[in-house]
Amino acid sequence: MYDLVIRNGKVVDGSGLPAFKADVAVMGNRIVKIGQVPEAAREEINAEGKIVAPGFIDPHTHFDAQLLWDGCAKPALAHGVTTIVPGNCSLSLAPLKAKHRMKLVGMFNQIEEMPLKAFKEGVVWDWETFSEYITRIRKGLAINVAPLVGHSVIRLWVMNEAATERTATDAEIAEMQSVLRECLDAGAAGLSTSYVDMDEKLLPVPSRYADAREVEALASVLGEYGRVLQIVPEFYDSDLTIARLDQLAELSLKYNIPTTFSPLFMNADNVDAVNRVMARVDEQFARGARVWPQVQTRPIDISFSFSVPSLLFMRFPTWYKIMRFGTPDEISAFFSDSENRVKLIAEAAPLQGLWPTLVLRHVETDANQKYVGKTLKEIAELRNTTPVEAMMDLSVEEGLEAHFLSAGMGHNDDAKVAGLLNHPRVHIGASDGGAHILSFSTYGDTGYLFSHFVRDLNLMTVESAVKKITSDTAAIWGIPERGMLKEGMIADIAVFDPSTIARGEEKFVNDVPGDGHRYVRDSHGVDTVIVGGGIAWSEAKGYQDARGEVLPGVREMVAA
Amino acid sequence: MPVEQLSRVRKSILPQVGDDWSHIASRELPDLSEKDAIASLQSWNLHVYMRAAARMGTGSNNILPSDVIFVEPPLAHG
Repeated sequence: MYDLVIRNGKVVDGSGLPAFKADVAVMGNRIVKIGQVPEAAREEINAEGKIVAPGFIDPHTHFDAQLLWDGCAKPALAHGVTTIVPGNCSLSLAPLKAKHRMKLVGMFNQIEEMPLKAFKEGVVWDWETFSEYITRIRKGLAINVAPLVGHSVIRLWVMNEAATERTATDAEIAEMQSVLRECLDAGAAGLSTSYVDMDEKLLPVPSRYADAREVEALASVLGEYGRVLQIVPEFYDSDLTIARLDQLAELSLKYNIPTTFSPLFMNADNVDAVNRVMARVDEQFARGARVWPQVQTRPIDISFSFSVPSLLFMRFPTWYKIMRFGTPDEISAFFSDSENRVKLIAEAAPLQGLWPTLVLRHVETDANQKYVGKTLKEIAELRNTTPVEAMMDLSVEEGLEAHFLSAGMGHNDDAKVAGLLNHPRVHIGASDGGAHILSFSTYGDTGYLFSHFVRDLNLMTVESAVKKITSDTAAIWGIPERGMLKEGMIADIAVFDPSTIARGEEKFVNDVPGDGHRYVRDSHGVDTVIVGGGIAWSEAKGYQDARGEVLPGVREMVAA
Repeated sequence: MPVEQLSRVRKSILPQVGDDWSHIASRELPDLSEKDAIASLQSWNLHVYMRAAARMGTGSNNILPSDVIFVEPPLAHG
C-alpha cells in the first residue's frame, strides 16, 4: 500500500515534454511510481481534469522574517510554490550580532518595505549565526527553503560600523570568506549582493563598499561549493546592467559558479535596452558563463499610502524625505502647510500624467467611502481641486490611511514580456515574496503565468511554463532531487486545474504581527500542494502537513 | 566564444584602491588635461557624480568601491 496516490491527472513532469495521463504514487517523501497504479493508498487524490506538476520554485523572495512566525510562507504555498529562496539583495537575517539587529531591521524596512512593528512584535531574536537561524526556522516549516546569505550582513558581522565606511583589509576579507564558508556549511544556497540599495539612513548598504577583490574572494568561496551568486545591478541603465553582467560572467567562468541578476523589466520605453542586455547574456552564455537574468511574470502595479515610505516617491526628495523620516502627525502637518504644498506640487510635476490615473482603493472614514474606486482625476473634479492636492487632502483626512493604486506602470506589453519569459536563458522569478507588502502582492505570479500567458494569450505552452518554474530553477540553483516528477525524486507536487488557475484579486489583510497589514492574493484553481510527500495545503482543507526542509544547495548546475 | 569576440560595449572600469576622479582621469584618459578628463568622467557617470549633491560616498570622494565607472561616452546604437 502506498502512502499517497494522485490518480487520473495529466502529468506535466517538468522536463518540458508533452503532458501524459498517469497516476503518481508516493511512499514516504519520494515518488515511487508514475504510470498505472492499481494498488491502494492511505490517501488518494482524484486529479481528473487537472495537471500534476512538480512544486514550483520561487528563486527571489524576502521571506526571511515571515518564516519566523509563519512556516508556510502564506500564501505562497497555496499558490503551488513548494520551495522559496529568501536572503536576496544582500540582506539575510543571519549571521547577525545582537548589536546589529536594529540596523538590519532598518535596512529591511527601507529596502523591502517591511514594517518595523512586525519585527518588534513578531520576532524573538534568539539567534546570531546562520546555523542558529536555520535551526530556528526549521520549527514548523511547511515549505522548503533554500536560503541565501546576504553580503551586507556578512560585512556587518566582520567589520561592524566600518562596513559602511571603507573597503575591507586583507584580514577582514579572509574573515568574510570564513564566515561565508560557515554559512554555506550550514545550508546557505549562495550569496546575494546589491549595487543599488540604500540603508535606513538613505546611505549605500554595506555591500556597496566592497571593492572587486572582496567580491572575487567571496565568489572563490562560492566556487568551492558550486553555489549561486545573486546580485541586484543598476537595473535602471542598460550600460550599467551590461557592465555588471560582464563582471558576473568573469566570476562565473573563473570560479565555475552560476550567477543571477534581477530585476529585468520590459517597458515600452526600454525595448532596445532590454534587447541589448539579452544579446549580451547570449554572448556570455556562449562563452560558457552562467549569468541568468530573472524576469517576473506580473506587470508593475504599485499601491501606497503615506503611512510608510513608498519606492514610487524615491525620485522626489521632498516627498520621500517626509515619508521616510516624518511621524504621521508631521507628515499630515507638512501636507497641510501651504508653502510645503507648493514645493510638493512642483516636485511632482514631472509625473503629471500619472497622478490623475491613480485609483483610491482604501479609506478608513465613512465620509470618503464614496470616492473609493475612483481615479484622482474624478475625485479632484468632485472636490474642485487638482489630483495631487486631492491625494494630499485625502491622506490628511484619513490619518494617512488613504491607499492609492498605480496600475500598469510597466512590464505589461504581453507579447514582449512573453518573449522574455520564453527565452531559454531567462530565469522566471523576481517575485519579491514577503517584501514590499504594502506596495503590491508578491504572491500569485505563478497563477498569473498560467492564466495569462498560457491559457488566455496562448503565448507559452503549459509544459514550457512548468519547466521554467520547476526543473530549470532547480538546475540553475543546484537544488537536488526536486523540480521534476520522476520515480525516486522527492515528492514536491502541485495539482492544479489548467482551466481555472489564476491569481486572485489583490486584497488588504490584517495578518502581520504588530496588527500590521499587507496586500495578498488568494490562489485560484490550485487543488493540492504536496511537500516532501505530505499534503501541505489543499483547497478543501487548507494548510496541513509541515514537512518543509532547508535545502542544501550542494549540487552543481546540470542543465542550462 | 573567446572574450576577444564579444561584441563591443561601453568601456568601463571598477575602481582600484584609493581611486578618485583624479586618479581615474590620469590613468584612463591620459591624453586629456586633468580638468577635461575629470569633467568628462563626471558627465559620463552621473549615477556616481550626482551623489555629491546627496553627500553620499566615502568622505569627500563620492566614488564607491563597487561602482562601475564608464571611461567613454555612451555608444551609438543603430
